[in-house]
Amino acid sequence: METVIKDYISRELVQDPKLLPLADDASLMESGILDSLSLLRLVVFLEERFGITVGDADLLPDNFASVNAICAYLRAREPGRQAATHG
Amino acid sequence: MGNSRASRLLHSLEGVAYWGAAAPVLARLPAGLGYRLACRRGDWLSRHQAAKRAELARNLREMLGDELSRTAVQQVTRDWFRFASCDAVDMMRLRHGARPLRRLVEIRGREHLEAALAGGKGAILCSAHFGSYDSGFSVLHASGFPVTSIGRWQYKYTASLSSAERRFWDRVYRPVRRQRARPNIEPWPGRFEVAALAAAALRANEVVTICIDAPPLDSDQARAVEVPFLGRRARLLPGVVTLAQVSGAPVLMGFVYRSADYSHQVLEISAPVPVEGEPTAAFQRCAAEVNAAIRKSPAQWNYWPSPVDLASLGLISPERAPAPSPRLPASVR
Repeated sequence: METVIKDYISRELVQDPKLLPLADDASLMESGILDSLSLLRLVVFLEERFGITVGDADLLPDNFASVNAICAYLRAREPGRQAATHG
Repeated sequence: MGNSRASRLLHSLEGVAYWGAAAPVLARLPAGLGYRLACRRGDWLSRHQAAKRAELARNLREMLGDELSRTAVQQVTRDWFRFASCDAVDMMRLRHGARPLRRLVEIRGREHLEAALAGGKGAILCSAHFGSYDSGFSVLHASGFPVTSIGRWQYKYTASLSSAERRFWDRVYRPVRRQRARPNIEPWPGRFEVAALAAAALRANEVVTICIDAPPLDSDQARAVEVPFLGRRARLLPGVVTLAQVSGAPVLMGFVYRSADYSHQVLEISAPVPVEGEPTAAFQRCAAEVNAAIRKSPAQWNYWPSPVDLASLGLISPERAPAPSPRLPASVR
């Protein structure tokens, strides 16, 4: 899951190559990688890739602060997926 | 300095009296009479706000000079103040439901909006701070199209306003807010979920309105693009195109034009604007439509007398913009 998300962010959202390679705990917002529109792109990607719907209430900075935070959010949303991915 | 402060205070008090007491009364009168009296207030403002009138005329001459004669500049200036007063009456007519205003606003091009919504991906109504846009969107909502707006309520962000003033303007705008499917999606620095919230409304097959002529916030300057606008190059945010490309929602242009009798209005909705391809090029097409609307009816553009906003847009030199001073919300003209 981490690799898929990190690949997408690195390929589609990172504008400044100096920010690569992306660390799992790098702040996506403070580094300017995520703004309102790139968050939308990311949400659409996550929904399509992981078959979830991100509700309005889940659109919190904490859930998208880093690759680690995104993975934690997805695992909390889809408990069954954790086993499928790592099992 | 003292005079300027006193005059600002007087203007502020007059604005509160007009919006809080006079406009609600005018809104209950027969439309023809109510809007005629609102025009009188506009004429009075035009005479007494000489600095604002001069700024407005100067900016009109600088940006549309070749297209407007001296007489036309005077007429546009006068109409700007009249329209500003009429906008308040529009809003007050919404206080008792949408019907009193709906009778006065004709929606043209609703077939374009219906066709867009039939696609099931919502529709983006791209507009500008032009005419009585807030009330126009409310009429659209009351006509059966679920409308959500992306935009800031300026009174919430004007640091110089007291809490009493904020409450006052909050009350003023309440009728507009009631005629929306969802609360306004308000962009402010650090608010990352704006586009995703808009996409959620589009996914629910609703209409999302965006005024694309807003001066970018400092925190958004890096995302702004330069596009031809009013014979110059303006710095605007092209988010509408990205939102459309990611969500698949079509973009239609919508402008509210006030008729010569001042009481009737037309909300003109266009066929979809192509937004495929490179975002800046696609956004230029939207900006060109705003540009055309302003040239068609220049008195309806809100920003003419505001050097701070025009400088932020890149349309006039930053040296001409005074330091930000206490002012009423941008849409309160």
